[in-house]
Formats: sequence, C-alpha cells, structure tokens
Amino acid sequence: MIKIEKRNDVPMALYFFTPFIAIILTILGGGIIFYILGFNPIEALKFYFITPISNLYGLSELLLKATPLCLIAIGLSFCFKSNNWNIGAEGQLTFGAIVGGGVALLFYNQEGFYILPLVILAGAIGGMIFALIPAILKTYFNTNEILVSLMLVYVSKLLLDYLVVGPWSNPEGFNFPETRQFSNSSRMPLLFEGLRIHAGIFLALAAVMLSWFILYKTYLGFQIKVSGLSLKTAKYAGFKGKTMILVVFMISGACAGLAGVGEITGPIGQLHRMISPDYGFTAIIVAFLGRLNPFGIIFASLVVALTYLGAETAQIFLQIPKYTGQVFQGMILFFLLASDYLLFFKVKILNLKKNELRH
Amino acid sequence: MATDLRISNISKIYPGCIANDNVSLQFKSGKIYALLGENGAGKSTLVKILSGVISPDNGEVFLNEKNLKLSSPLDAKKNKIGMVFQHFNLFETLSVFENLSIDATEDNKSLRVRINEIFKKYNFSIDLDVPVLNLSAGQKQKVEIIRCLLRSPKVLIMDEPTSVLTEQETEELFISLKKFCEEGILIIYITHKLKEVLSLCDEVAVMRKGKVVSVSQTQNEKVETLANKMVGQKLAKIKKKINISKNKDEIFKVKHLNFYSDDPFETNLVNLNFSVKKGECLGIAGISGNGQNELFQILSGEIITPDTSIIFRNKEIAKLNPKQRREYLMAFSPEDRISQAAVPELKIYENVALNNFKSSNFFEKGLVNERKIKEHSKKILSDFSVNTDNVELKSQFLSGGNLQKLILGRELITAPELLICYNPTWGLDVGAINYIHETLIKINDQEKSTILISTDTEELLKLSDRIAVIYKGKLSKIMPSEEVTPEKLGLLMGGGSID
Repeated sequence: MIKIEKRNDVPMALYFFTPFIAIILTILGGGIIFYILGFNPIEALKFYFITPISNLYGLSELLLKATPLCLIAIGLSFCFKSNNWNIGAEGQLTFGAIVGGGVALLFYNQEGFYILPLVILAGAIGGMIFALIPAILKTYFNTNEILVSLMLVYVSKLLLDYLVVGPWSNPEGFNFPETRQFSNSSRMPLLFEGLRIHAGIFLALAAVMLSWFILYKTYLGFQIKVSGLSLKTAKYAGFKGKTMILVVFMISGACAGLAGVGEITGPIGQLHRMISPDYGFTAIIVAFLGRLNPFGIIFASLVVALTYLGAETAQIFLQIPKYTGQVFQGMILFFLLASDYLLFFKVKILNLKKNELRH
Repeated sequence: MATDLRISNISKIYPGCIANDNVSLQFKSGKIYALLGENGAGKSTLVKILSGVISPDNGEVFLNEKNLKLSSPLDAKKNKIGMVFQHFNLFETLSVFENLSIDATEDNKSLRVRINEIFKKYNFSIDLDVPVLNLSAGQKQKVEIIRCLLRSPKVLIMDEPTSVLTEQETEELFISLKKFCEEGILIIYITHKLKEVLSLCDEVAVMRKGKVVSVSQTQNEKVETLANKMVGQKLAKIKKKINISKNKDEIFKVKHLNFYSDDPFETNLVNLNFSVKKGECLGIAGISGNGQNELFQILSGEIITPDTSIIFRNKEIAKLNPKQRREYLMAFSPEDRISQAAVPELKIYENVALNNFKSSNFFEKGLVNERKIKEHSKKILSDFSVNTDNVELKSQFLSGGNLQKLILGRELITAPELLICYNPTWGLDVGAINYIHETLIKINDQEKSTILISTDTEELLKLSDRIAVIYKGKLSKIMPSEEVTPEKLGLLMGGGSID
C-alpha cells in the first residue's frame, strides 16, 4: 500500500536544487524521444543544446530570447507570489506592443533622442492598462482573473491583427499584414555590430534588481509575501487587499508591455501578426522554474530560451518541426511539478506482508 | 459478553518527540475509563493507534486476548472499535439518514428500522430527513454516536466530546454513555476537563509526555490531585479580584451591529448593542458557531458592516480596517492562531511585523527595517517567556502555547487600550492556559479593557467582570459575573432563557 505524507520541513537548499533535477530529467526525456524518433540521442541533444550556443551569434540569440522571458517572468512573480493568477502576460505583451508601436508609428519619419524613451514608456503603460482590466474585474466584481486575463490574450491578438491589416498597414506595403518600418530613433540600440542583441537586456536586468529590492526590502514586498501565504492573515493584519491586487497586476502588465515593446523596437522593427512566439505563456514556466526568485528567473530564462534556439537548430539539422521546443518546455514544467511533489510530500510504501507475518 | 481491551508496550516515535513511550493499559467492559493529559501528552496518538489511523512502532493491542492488526480505520471498524472524533466527520449538506447510510451494508428500509430501534432504546430523537447543517452540535454528535452504535461496537472511544456541547447536552451525553456502559460497551473517554472525569468515569489513566503516569479509581481523586498528576507541578491558582468599575468611563461602545450573509455556513448577527468600561473584561459566551467568528471579524475590522456604529475612545471607528484600528490602540487575537494570527511558514520576526503600528518604525518610508523588527521580536520573546530566543525560527516550530504567547506579546507590546481575543487558550495545556489567563488579568489591572469571546465557560467565569451570551447571532442581556453560574450560562448558551 502506498501512503503520501506531507513533509514538515523542506530544506531551502533542496528547494532551489530541484529545478536542476527537472532540467536534467528533461534532457534525459528528450534523449528518449529522439531515440524513439530514430535519431542518435547524444547527437540530437548536442544539436539541441550545444550547437546553438557554440558561437558568438548563438549566444547573442540566446540573450535576445531570454530578455523578454526574463522581463515577463519577473512581472509574473509579483502576481504569483501574492496568489494572483495572471496568465494573460501574452495579451499584456501584445497590447504593450500595440501602444508602443502606435507611438513609434507616429514618429515614423522623424528622428530624435526622445522618441525611444516615449515608445518604451508607452509600451509599459499599455501593458499596465491591459493588466488592470482583470485586476479591476477581480477586485470589484469578484471575477476569476485566470479566465479574464487568458481571454484578453485573444482580444489583444485580434486587435493587433485588425490594426496591421487595416488602419495601420503600410500604405506602400502591397497589402502585407504589417505596418511601416519604425524610424531608427524608435529602435533599441544594438550592443554589438552584426549581432541582434540590443539594449533591452538592460531593461530586464534593471527589472531583476528592482524586483529583488521590492520583494525583499519593502513593505509592499512583505505584504505580497504574507498575502501569498495566507489571505486570512493579510486581512487580519489590515493590508489593503484590493490596492495590492491592482499594484501587482500593474507591475506584471508593465513588465510584459516592456517585453513587447523590446521585441518590436529590437529585432522586429515594425508591427506584424507574429510579434511573439508565445513568450507570455512560456514565461509562466520561467517564473516557476526560477522559483519566483529574481535571480532564479535569470537562470531559468536562459534555460528556456535555449529550448527555443535548440528547436530551430533541430529543425534545420534534423528536419524535425520546431514545435519540439514546446515539448521541451512542457517537459520542464512537468518534471518541475513532479519533483516539487516529491519535495513537499514523501511517499511511503507500507509493507503489508511483513505485518501479516508478525501477527 | 465481557470485553477486555489490552494495550501492551505501545511505542510511537516521531522525529524529535516520543509520542507514546511503552504505554500499557488494560480496560474491561462495565466501566468508563478516562484518558487524561495535556496537549502533546500522547492521548491522541494512542487513540489514533486504537482506531487504526496510524500504526505503532512497537507494541500490540489485544481485544479479548486476540491480537489485533489495526493498519487502517477499516480494521478498527471490523474489530468493533468505534470512535467519535472531536471534529465531526459528517456531510453538512446531506440529511441525517444519508450520512448514516453512506457506509451501511444493509438496505435503507432495514437501516431505518434499526436506527429507530436505537432511538427508542436510548431515548434519542432526531429528524432523520433534515440536512445535518441544521442540527445543533449535540445532535450532530448523536449522529456520530448512532453511526458507531449501528455497528454494535465493543469499544467506544470518545475524543473530547463535550468541547462543543452545552451543559444540558453534556448531561444528556453522560446519561447515554452510562447506559452504553451498562450494556457492556467498553467506553474510553478522552478529555482535558477534570470535573468530567470525576463525575462520569470510574477509572482514570493520566498521561504525561508520552508515558502513563498514573492509573487510579476516580473516587480516590479530586480535581486538584488530578490536575497535579496531569501537569506534574503544583498549579498556581489565579483568582481574579473583582473590578470595582461601576462608575468608570465607557471606552468602547457598539450600536446596531447587524450582519447578514448569503453563506449558509455563516451566522447572521441581529442588532447587537454593548459597551466596555475602562479596565473591564467583557466576556461573550456561547457554543461555537453562534456568530462569534462574524462578531470578532466585525470588531477587528476584517468585515465592515454598514449602519453599525462603533465608538472607541470617543471616535467613530466602524469604517476603519484592522491596521487603522490598531493605530487607535486596539489589539486583536483571533481564534485561529495557526493560520490567521500568524503564518506558519514565516519566521518569528516576520510574524511580529504583521502588527505594523505607526510608532514601531518597522517599515520606514516603505522599506523593511529588519534590525528594528528583530530587536522588538527579541523583547517579545523574553517578556512573554516564549521558550526560544531565535527570531529566525519559523513559527510552525513553536508549540501552541508558545505561539499564542508570541501573538499576545505582539498584540500587547503597543500597550493597547482594548484587547479583543477569541478563544485565546483553545487547545493549550494547563501551564500555557495559566500564563495566558494571568496576562489577561494583568491587562485589566493596568486599567486596560478586554473583550473575551470564548467557548470555555470556566475561563469566562474566571476572567470576566460582566458576561453576555451569544446564541444564534443574538446577544443576551449582559450580567455581572457574580450573578452568573455555569448552569445559567449553559441554559443561555443552549437557547433557553433565565428568569
């Protein structure tokens, strides 16, 4: 007979170590899948995890993909830590990109140092406003933020679709579903000639430092921590619960909006339909893999970014669809949840036979 | 047929504590046995072993010289060991009959016949077709007992059965238990309450720190001797000096407190009016579930009710949240100390920071002042004799008594004018209860006021200057505690009326 018991004290060291176990298991699981597909698993895993980052360009691409993941996950950690389940970061990213992109389009034929900061600010505000919708509905009308934030993803995607096909489409663009190219003043400065990595990475790093400070050193952070552990206690302590929900959603939305604006002013340079390969959803995995800890999230965003890159290399060299990236992301989450389960609970196998013999 | 239950050399060791240390006891039918002990003495562990919930590391249980293999509650049932837990295991929204038929093996018709036979035999009367949530605690307990009786048990174990009952219901329960005993059912009665042991039981086994320290005939025991055996030290008796507060100022006044809830598990409150004087303890008695939860939350500001007027030190505070009320020098100690008053996963100093009053400077300009919080926490730990000085310890590792001292310390360190506490000694051992009671009396001695919402009548009579009873969301008239007797309280708590 199997019995499952809760562990009373989980060592902190082990708590931060299990994500590594999850990653190792994911790699092993990936190897098995490759083997079943008829590839040499060692070679395939090499294509997947080593080849993409074996040159400078690859490393730059890794950081490029990790940047939005890290930004969004940092924002999400505020929501998740305080028991607010915002899973609509993809929508907040899209809406941030729409608002930021709109400002960039206003200045499409102008240059000036002030344009990029305006675009970035507009993106953050856009994401923030979009995140406020589920937050206000939750605080004042008791709606479920999971449903509302998720459904708003599709609203923002359809809005973007409409804009790039209709009113914002490039007049000289032969009816392609895309806007004009942004002017150079609306583009993130590149860090190195010939590589796509851009200044947006500093936004992500700033977000990491700032979030660490807020979460661990301020009253707001303390309130978030208490509310996440026990809403009853938060109420009893007299924390302003509604205000806090609004604030964490705004932080989360602003981060996602920044990620969106970083994409369109960085590698993309215009608005079109496919501005994000579901960064907003993948960042949920990043947030949990990083244990909702700012520095853990940096590490997790690099690992998950690698699954995007690996999927592209695998598509080129092994002719397997790049959606294997999602398989790997799914496996990471699966193994993380499984190892967490074993971390928080112990499984006892009761030996019935021995008992029967004794009696 | 006579039943003979023998526990032989039972040991159960948990990491860091020996819950049962070589326990051997013998029970024979025809007598009611009391198992007495403080929290953590090992009673619950022993009972769980007897009911098959946990298995012992060592030792054996014999029923009529047959070695029992109790590896699940089902085994206990098969061996005719019945168990009524302190917290009822009933489905609130199902009817009484549905609850009883869940694990029955016979068809509904014959089950009904058998239930009615039991009713007739023991003089029970409960409507079988009403949902359980409409029953009183005493009736719910009867449903639990009937569920055991349907399996014609040889052994019936009662775990703290009177903690939710009125005085009258307790008496009824005792009559039934004596009847079961006469019919040859072996009864093991687990309790904290010394008087119950003396009035009900024939033999008493006292446990302390996992060991059986004494087995004796109750006729040779007195309340004091039992208490000493249980605690292992002489108890300091507290006697409250009657507060001469006839002409003192009213410091706290509640008018038109009404609360209406759509939730069937919450109690509506109907037009409560009361006031508290300076240096006075107002006791609010009642069986749990009569509106105390809701009343506490309204007084603390967790629930804001429209139209209620709460005047505290000449200011209207009815619209303020708990944090703001603390600024006016109110303090709150809720019933649920484990997951509401404190967060088990947080460290001691973080739990102290939950009472972030203005002059504390715990959070200067929105930033955490960890040094200040820790200093303050150290002071609470030593002032309130919490048995650790490590402020980094997670509060889940504190025992109930120490956690309650920490919470009271946190609430009192602001020197509040009014402390509102709800069941402050619930589930604590005698030593901790005494400490808490002394603390509460000290508060009154310093001319500060307390509101004590409690389900423990002994505690109320000991500490309160005036007492009111809450029943189904209505408050009785407020009586000076000299005029109140346990019988009077019991009557009011059960919905009766006096004079």
